[in-house]
Amino acid sequence: MSANAVSCTIKSPVALQIGDAVSDSSRPGVYITDITLAEPVNIQEISFKNYYTAYLTVRLQRREDGSAKWVTCLRNYCLMSNPHAEDGSHDYFSIYRHQMLTEPDNVTTVRLILRQPSSEWLNFSIEEINIHPCAKEDSERDVPAWISTLTPVEEPLDLNGLPDPETVSSSIQQMWALTEIMQASQTAASIGRFDVEGSYDVKLLSYT
Amino acid sequence: MAEKRRAGVAIMSDEQLLSQAGVSALLRGALLRLLECRPEDPVGFLAEHFAHLSSEAEDGASERQSVSRALWHLSLAHHSHRSAFNNNVRVAYELLTQGVPRRLGAGGVRGRLYSEMLRCLCSEGGLSGSTAAPLLRRIQSHDYESVPFELFRQGVLTCAVFADYIRKSQCLYAAVASAPDRPAERTLCQAVLSTLREALETADGADVARYLEASAKISPAKVAQAMAEVQPRAQRHDGLTMDAQEFEDAAAALFIARVRTVS
Repeated sequence: MSANAVSCTIKSPVALQIGDAVSDSSRPGVYITDITLAEPVNIQEISFKNYYTAYLTVRLQRREDGSAKWVTCLRNYCLMSNPHAEDGSHDYFSIYRHQMLTEPDNVTTVRLILRQPSSEWLNFSIEEINIHPCAKEDSERDVPAWISTLTPVEEPLDLNGLPDPETVSSSIQQMWALTEIMQASQTAASIGRFDVEGSYDVKLLSYT
Repeated sequence: MAEKRRAGVAIMSDEQLLSQAGVSALLRGALLRLLECRPEDPVGFLAEHFAHLSSEAEDGASERQSVSRALWHLSLAHHSHRSAFNNNVRVAYELLTQGVPRRLGAGGVRGRLYSEMLRCLCSEGGLSGSTAAPLLRRIQSHDYESVPFELFRQGVLTCAVFADYIRKSQCLYAAVASAPDRPAERTLCQAVLSTLREALETADGADVARYLEASAKISPAKVAQAMAEVQPRAQRHDGLTMDAQEFEDAAAALFIARVRTVS
């Protein structure tokens, strides 16, 4: 599971209702949320936190050879086993590539269709939506460069006439260690050369 | 011991005599110090120890004496014996701050004494004046300034470590030079110094990561590789050599560059 999420813009949910939204007093049972991505992404995972949504449908808009196509990748995925009960109402979910009906590659927009048929709940939504891209093969976690130089060189070096590397290396190591000791003992203590009763006095700055 | 009777003087037993003079405490302190320092000449050490004790008991010791006494204390333990060394630094600091009138919030060693201490430490460590001069320029204080304990300890430790460092660099030069009487090849010296410089310049990070990376750079394999890379040039026998003093100065420069200037 990759830790990095792609940055995306999540639009506010739009309710699908029959009739006039303002005058009609019944609560909507369907919400649609669109998520636009800055650049086409191969999705590895969509993670979110549920809030009383019963069923989820996910549609993707893919950029294919210049044209944009909408495909359904998840149809009526059940988040709450019983829409009237609490079960699954606050759970965290992750939807992976292999669960999707089509390959989520080159995706530009993700549309989430939330359904809650029960009249129990005043509101329902999903929160903390994160879209995780596929990890690229070449971008691994940063391995320090010096680790790759640890493997010894295959061909034996011609050391004729050169000083013994063990002795030289041992002396260098001790010199390095002594310098480290000195640096570790450095304190921030100061003589207060430029302090005058705790503050800076320009006239005391010396030129040496 | 036969008891002596004197008119009007009470007779003391052996234990009373020893405890009244505080002799047993004195002897115990002297033996502990001896065990801590383990000198090669125990009798001479004990003689110096008691001589210093008796002169410390006098008031109005001259500054010259204070400095020499402080130096003697600092010479008792190598800086690698950290707790013993720190104790000695504390004792030396106390010695040097005696007699200084406590100004408000400015207690410390007088700058002149501190600078003189550092100079003597460097010369006792076998450093020549020219080698130690750049270091002293960074860490010594002006005569009128007052040096707090932390800075005093840091300066003393830096001088002690620097003396060891220069000794090590002399061993390194001897290892790089192919024969004791001939100077070493310049390219080899430069290759060796640059491996040390690279290890010292390891980027900041967590301490453990930094140590691992630096030690990978100065492993025998890496050193052998660095030397083998310059070998074709060295074997051309250009005659370009680097003498011991130049090598020592270059190594010293690497160390001194990392010493914080006192301000």
